[in-house]
Order: sequence, then structure tokens, then C-alpha cells
Amino acid sequence: MPKARINNQIRRLRFDHGEMTQEELAQRAGCTRQTIIALEQGKYVPSIELAFRIAKAFGVSLEEVFQYEEQKR
Amino acid sequence: MSISQKTAWAQLAIFGALVIGWVVLFTVNGTIFYWQDETMKMTFYWLCAAAFAALVIMNIVASILKGRLKAVTDERDRVIFRKASLWATGVSYSFVAALLLALAITYMDSGSETVPVYFPFFIVIVGGVTLILTQAITALLLYGRKVNHAES
Repeated sequence: MPKARINNQIRRLRFDHGEMTQEELAQRAGCTRQTIIALEQGKYVPSIELAFRIAKAFGVSLEEVFQYEEQKR
Repeated sequence: MSISQKTAWAQLAIFGALVIGWVVLFTVNGTIFYWQDETMKMTFYWLCAAAFAALVIMNIVASILKGRLKAVTDERDRVIFRKASLWATGVSYSFVAALLLALAITYMDSGSETVPVYFPFFIVIVGGVTLILTQAITALLLYGRKVNHAES
């Protein structure tokens, strides 16, 4: 199985949405601010459900928030 | 800092206080084997009981807070808790198994009289302490590392 990496654009999307705070996004997505921080730092790969909730909080598609990237060996 | 991290730090703090208590006890009393002195033995047990009570009360309060305040925990906390619990169970089981093996070998080689009667009870305490400590340390380490929900 190839190694893969999941990137996200949460930080940029927060900025694009009127500099939405991490706390505000956390409330909209139904998670804690610590998880938003971990996501932005690339330290957490969320469940598909949370990923959808974050995309919904921004009003964009899942692919606009998260990108699946296969790493070359 | 999430409530799970605070709980883990509190567990380490309680254990640290217990170790300090033991060190003070041994320094003041000077008895190497605590079970050889009745006062020392009772103080040792009271310290253990106080630490255990503190852990139980703290975990009950943490559980109540987690249940009432939905925003304080989420799926990441649960993933970390599950992983930390798995590690803690494995480590404490291995530790207890190793101690039981050592006990069995000692029994076979030297007879049951050579081992104090408190030793099996001591193994149970060590198993519990190892479980709690490993869980706290692993949880704190995982909060600083990359965690994948799919791997939980």
C-alpha cells in the first residue's frame, strides 16, 4: 500500500472567511479548539464525519478542505 | 489544554506526591522493608489509599465534566484515550506477568517462606500503578504527536 498524506487548507479557509477564529470553527464543526490546532499543524487526521463537518462549516466541498496526496517512494 | 491532558498531568502529579511521601517516609524511618515495621506499614498503606482515593475522585469529576460539557472532549481525545489505554494495558500486563514469573521462580528455587506474604499484594499495586502511569504518559506523548483517526 503506497504511503499517503492528507493535507488541509483549514488555516487559509479561516482567513478567507473573515479571519474566522479557531474557537468559532471548532464550535461550528462540533470539536475542540485543540483539535483545530492539531489539524492545522498536520498532527491529526480526522474522521470522515469531522472532515465533512469542517467543510460544511466553511460552506465548501470536502476536496477544497482536504487533499489526499500519495507519496512517491 | 484538554480535560484529558489535565487528567493525565493530575495523575502524574498524584503519583509524584506519593513517591515524595514514600521517600520522606523511608528517610524519616530508615526501614528498608516497610512491612518489617508496623507504623511504617500503616503509613505506607494510608499514603497508597489517599493517592488511590484522589485518583478515583479525579476520574469521577473528569467523567462528569466530559459528559456535561460536550465541547471539552471530541473524537481526537477519544482516539488518544483508546490508544493510551491499549498501551497501558499491554505494559501493565507484561509487568505483572514478569513479576509473577519472578515470584514463581523464587518459590520453586527457594521455597515460599523466602518471599514475604505481602509480595503478591504488592504485584497487584504495581500493576495498577503501571496501568495509570503508562496511560497518562502515553496520552501526553500522543497529544504532541501525529494521530490518525483511522488507525484507532
